[in-house]
Amino acid sequence: MTAFDAEGLIGDLTVTLDVDVLVGAYPDRDGPPGTPAEVCETLARHRITAGAVAGLRAALFDVRSGNDEILALDRPDLLPVGAVDLRDPVGAGGELERLAGSGARAVRLFPDEQGVEADFPSVRHVARRATDLGLAILTGGDVRRFWRPFAGLGARVVFLDTHFYHLGDFLVTAADEPGFHTSTRLLNSPDALETAAGHVGAERLLYGSRTPHYEPVVPLLRLATSGLTPGEVAGVAGGNARRLLGLEAQS
Amino acid sequence: MIIDVHAHWGPWFFTMDVAEVNLAVMDRYGIDLAVVSATEAVIYDAPSGNRALAPVLEGTARLYGYVTVNPRRLADAERDLREYLPTGRFVGAKIHTDYTRSPVTSPQMREALAMLAELGCPALVHTWDASVLDLAQVCLDLPGLRAIAGHMGATGWRHAIEAARACDRLYLEPCWSHAPAGRFAEVAAAVDARQLLFGTDATLIDPASAFGAVAAAGLTGETAERVAWRNAADLFGLEIPPGHGSPSAPPER
Repeated sequence: MTAFDAEGLIGDLTVTLDVDVLVGAYPDRDGPPGTPAEVCETLARHRITAGAVAGLRAALFDVRSGNDEILALDRPDLLPVGAVDLRDPVGAGGELERLAGSGARAVRLFPDEQGVEADFPSVRHVARRATDLGLAILTGGDVRRFWRPFAGLGARVVFLDTHFYHLGDFLVTAADEPGFHTSTRLLNSPDALETAAGHVGAERLLYGSRTPHYEPVVPLLRLATSGLTPGEVAGVAGGNARRLLGLEAQS
Repeated sequence: MIIDVHAHWGPWFFTMDVAEVNLAVMDRYGIDLAVVSATEAVIYDAPSGNRALAPVLEGTARLYGYVTVNPRRLADAERDLREYLPTGRFVGAKIHTDYTRSPVTSPQMREALAMLAELGCPALVHTWDASVLDLAQVCLDLPGLRAIAGHMGATGWRHAIEAARACDRLYLEPCWSHAPAGRFAEVAAAVDARQLLFGTDATLIDPASAFGAVAAAGLTGETAERVAWRNAADLFGLEIPPGHGSPSAPPER
């Protein structure tokens, strides 16, 4: 054993649903191929029993065939999440209806990858349609800007890129929006989780790793060493995500 | 045994309250010693921050200090270095290129690093993306300089590999709030283990980020020990508690 004994710090913490998992590869980056088998192996190695997974094929190239790949995944450890292309808001509306009809519980948005800014009409349009269809929304983008198109709709949203630098902005907008949640992936200051729990409640925090492109162990370590109660930790580690996605009755 | 070579003491301007948590945060991860700079010194007023840090270091054996240098205030820096380095509680210098708007290639930065080289004082320098290559070039130009590339270039870790391979007096430490998969493993596989250090950026960033990144690399044996503490002990000449061996002799390269 070396001094860097992460397993010893994480102990028996198990993540029952990771809200930020991808399959597929970025063509502009060196990196993992992101096959479903590889992704599941990485999740299992970190004692993550399930992941809400979206596909980069849908995000970057072709929404329909990409989502079909995801919806066809037949694995208990992968919960399919659809994607739409914000560069095509008209097509996105139709795809949201198809996703909702196929049983998807959430749609993931990739504004950074698609070069879409928060004030583009497309984002507000997709936010309305997804909310009307009962879909939770998992979105990338800078929370300081991307809070706005989701505000006032009663939307259930998980901001996947909330950096602890911007935690205060998330907190002041989440105070007005009960459906706003955040991934813990980048909330890795010494007190971000505790601060968020104190202001809006730990139920707004969802473990997200971005496997296989980020190290899942980092948010695991932060959660395991946090000052949250055991019940709050269990919620962040999957209970909150299951509630948000309507999976409680199945768990 | 773990030594954190990139840490801070003092408050931050973000939504966080971490001014008093250094030792508690170190304890979370089994970090024994940390070399800290005063946030006030880094962000605003170097002499004032250095002065505030000095008594803190007298109060605990677990924190060593960096004298923060503002390259735009070299007279102040020289005075602080000559006052604080002899105490033995300050063991290096910290220069943040962004807060002082002094890129590694700027004249004032080169002058500051030349002064540190002359003093034999290790320098922790903020690097991002390709600027780590600029730091390697300055190291090559200043034979006495030993520099730590803070964040090992962050997004530019592949530049950091190239930089470290160009100059064996350039050290890399991995802290960053982002943790792309495989980043530290890639660096550790390509760079001489004698040039690798452990840094966290605490108390701005929780050590989870750097600790997790290094843990994910699966280092073993001597390499893990070098990253954890041995290289830092050698570089700064730190006294190591009994049971952890003695610092190794400087490598002949």
